[in-house]
Amino acid sequence: LCLGTTRNNFEGKKVIHLEYEAYTSMAEAEIKKICRDVRQKWPSVKHIAVHHRLGVVPITEASVIIAVSSPHRAESLEAVMYCINTLKASVPIWKKEIYEDEYSWKENKECFWANSEK
Amino acid sequence: QVSVLYFARSAELAGLRSETLSVPRQITSLQLWEEIVKVHPRLAVIRDQVVFAVQQEYVLLGDQLLVLQPGDEVAIIPPISGG
Repeated sequence: LCLGTTRNNFEGKKVIHLEYEAYTSMAEAEIKKICRDVRQKWPSVKHIAVHHRLGVVPITEASVIIAVSSPHRAESLEAVMYCINTLKASVPIWKKEIYEDEYSWKENKECFWANSEK
Repeated sequence: QVSVLYFARSAELAGLRSETLSVPRQITSLQLWEEIVKVHPRLAVIRDQVVFAVQQEYVLLGDQLLVLQPGDEVAIIPPISGG
């Protein structure tokens, strides 16, 4: 199980809440691709659940949850890692961090088209 | 006539979330970007940080030749931050 929850600060700034938006139809399609990949790579995996909240997510609450079940724990743990890493690299969802007097669109380091030298 | 979708920073810069644009049926992804920037010049600042999703497949801005059908969806995809 992987549960992603919101931190309350970034670089000394207080995070008020997060806002998520998505290209929903494509995000769903990309998540389905991830699930297909998991079933191919780890055939013993039984169930997979991926949920991502959209809109406003308050601090300390979870924005994403990934759950995988399998007869032995190694496959589940590897599959969960794969899901969250691939989601961060390929699912069209965007996070905006709202601070007290400004906001910032975040960029995953896994995203290959992000400008990583900042 | 394609449907252009704007997300995150690109929606803020363009000032809208979607519109229909007329573009040539065959066009490179870079040329498509340039057509869009003609309509929304403020998008130019994010040129190095976006990719397209054409009919929900990622396409880099470059020489890739796109063959577009009427009603195809083209989305501007700024760096993603899900999860």
